Amino acid sequence: MVLSQRQKEELNKAIADYLSSNGYISSLAEFQKEAGLPSELDKKYAGLLEKKWTSVIRLQKKVMDLEAKLSEAEKEFNAGGPTRDKRSPTEWIPRPPERYSLSGHRSPVTRIVFHPVFSVMVSASEDATIRIWDYETGDYERTLKGHTDSVQDVAFDHTGKLLASCSADMTIKIWDFQGFECLKTLYGHDHNVSSVSFMPSGDFIVSSSRDKTIKMWEVGTGYCVKTFTGHREWVRMVKVYHDGSLLASCSNDQTVRVWVVATKECKLELREHEHVVECIAWAPELAHPAIAEAAGNDVKRGGRTGPFLASGSRDKTIKIWDISTGLCLFTLVGHDNWVRGLLFHPGGKFLLSASDDKTLRIWDIKNRRNHKTLEAHQHFCTSLDMHKTSPYVISGSVDQTVKVWECR
Amino acid sequence: MRINTAPMNPAAVPQPVEDVQGDDRWMSQHHRFLAEIKEKEPEVVFIGDSLIRNLSLTQLWKQMFEPLHCLNLGIGGDQTQNVLWRVLNGEMEEISPKVIVLLVGTNNYDHTAEQVTDGILEIVRVIQSKQPQAQVIVTGIPPRGEKPNPLREKIMKINESLAEECENLQNVTFLNVDSSLFVNQSTGLISATDMYDYLHLTQAGYQKLSEPLLEEIQNLLHEFIKVENTSIITESVEGELPNDK
Repeated sequence: MVLSQRQKEELNKAIADYLSSNGYISSLAEFQKEAGLPSELDKKYAGLLEKKWTSVIRLQKKVMDLEAKLSEAEKEFNAGGPTRDKRSPTEWIPRPPERYSLSGHRSPVTRIVFHPVFSVMVSASEDATIRIWDYETGDYERTLKGHTDSVQDVAFDHTGKLLASCSADMTIKIWDFQGFECLKTLYGHDHNVSSVSFMPSGDFIVSSSRDKTIKMWEVGTGYCVKTFTGHREWVRMVKVYHDGSLLASCSNDQTVRVWVVATKECKLELREHEHVVECIAWAPELAHPAIAEAAGNDVKRGGRTGPFLASGSRDKTIKIWDISTGLCLFTLVGHDNWVRGLLFHPGGKFLLSASDDKTLRIWDIKNRRNHKTLEAHQHFCTSLDMHKTSPYVISGSVDQTVKVWECR
Repeated sequence: MRINTAPMNPAAVPQPVEDVQGDDRWMSQHHRFLAEIKEKEPEVVFIGDSLIRNLSLTQLWKQMFEPLHCLNLGIGGDQTQNVLWRVLNGEMEEISPKVIVLLVGTNNYDHTAEQVTDGILEIVRVIQSKQPQAQVIVTGIPPRGEKPNPLREKIMKINESLAEECENLQNVTFLNVDSSLFVNQSTGLISATDMYDYLHLTQAGYQKLSEPLLEEIQNLLHEFIKVENTSIITESVEGELPNDK
């Protein structure tokens, strides 16, 4: 390698400075003589050699990082997924960058859900409002106001005509999603209501609260018809099994519980998480083969039959449970912070999660592997949803934005 | 255990800040904290004066502290008796953090080193009675004033007694802020690069304070966050190669 005259002089001066600052005085004198340098050292070159020496390694690391990022981006571009028309709904997963990043909420977004029929989605926020957005155009449509404190969760019935919301103001509201009027306000919980869900028939709602209970409400009358007690702390989330016979709930008491709707009996108490359990999701039947295979059992030979449940915790792990036996089948480790949202891919092969490590992750269930990670938000990711038929995933965050991700 | 021989120690008698300017900001902040506490479930709580408050305005807070689920309850100008009033009036209710970081005392201009020390220890006692599960980190008061001055002497005295007293307390750690961290050992001067007004910390000043603090917090939490390294390296390389064209 040939240096220019100027570079050579600089190198010599830097070497001289190095020799001098390390006390190699005789070498310095010799070097100055041989290189024809003045005996006066130029202050400008103090420490330069060491700096260059270490910066090579740092630059090398930086180059490696950038190359890794580039190859990731190229892979994404060339082979990341099938092209738009070739993609199959069972395989598609969200790909960066996001299609829309929507701002409007004035506080963290707590929950985000798709409408089952129209091309709209609904977000709930600590700013006490609910916002409706068109996820195809990225347009903001309207705001539902009525709650007086942080809105914690929103849920549609299967027709999409009714929206239920719950709040830290201790109430649940039922909204007519055609006239956007609040039809009913349900009172009965004694503390923050953290989660709300419709029963499959649409006639009843279940809710969970910081008052340690789960309640079931009749939509028609607005009366509380059942109370499920047993959790020792704040109940974070409640989800209904698809046939309506079971409820699953998770809590600050670090347990997941399964309840029989008909008898209010707590059928199972699953304890293995080491911190608050934030979220749960029932596995759809399409996911059963992948779960059974991951658990090392062939479902056809009468092995694991389910139902199966996934739970995400502040202990940073996701656990998959067999509800027929009450056993934890396996644990997914990878998130670097609290797991806040969980969702099974409608195709049954993947599980999606949102976390306070600011990422969304896609897990390959069969291989129990973190298949893909999306650096999704500037701050904690609180919630995600995936459309049942259209190629979209949506996410909400403490950074107050809602993002729409297209799947390929 | 120190026996409180002066029951009328003004630094250890709970006292809200008097609203001398007439805009009620102090009380507004206290009320905002009460609302935040109700919703947030922090694992680490910071409480104290502006030295605590301003930390939350830094990039460091965003990068290093926020991922640990921290809540900042600092109010500028607070003295020990004001923080004591706040911990007795709701700011230690409804939460159950694993770690509580306390830094206060530099504004107690009217009180002796002994009084300030007792004030801080009284806050620690209240915190421990309300949050028995929490580990408390008492942060030493950083030195102040560009040149050596009597306040620095007083602060040194406070820190020495705090170190001694905290030795005997369970679940309490004293985090020594060695004055050499900020004071040039040969000139005795504090640089404006660390403290822009010779009291409040700059980004660089907070960097120095945060390193040992973050280490202590993570030790107590038994967890370590991923450091976002690449961007830091890029910046330092840019700075180091001014002659590169």
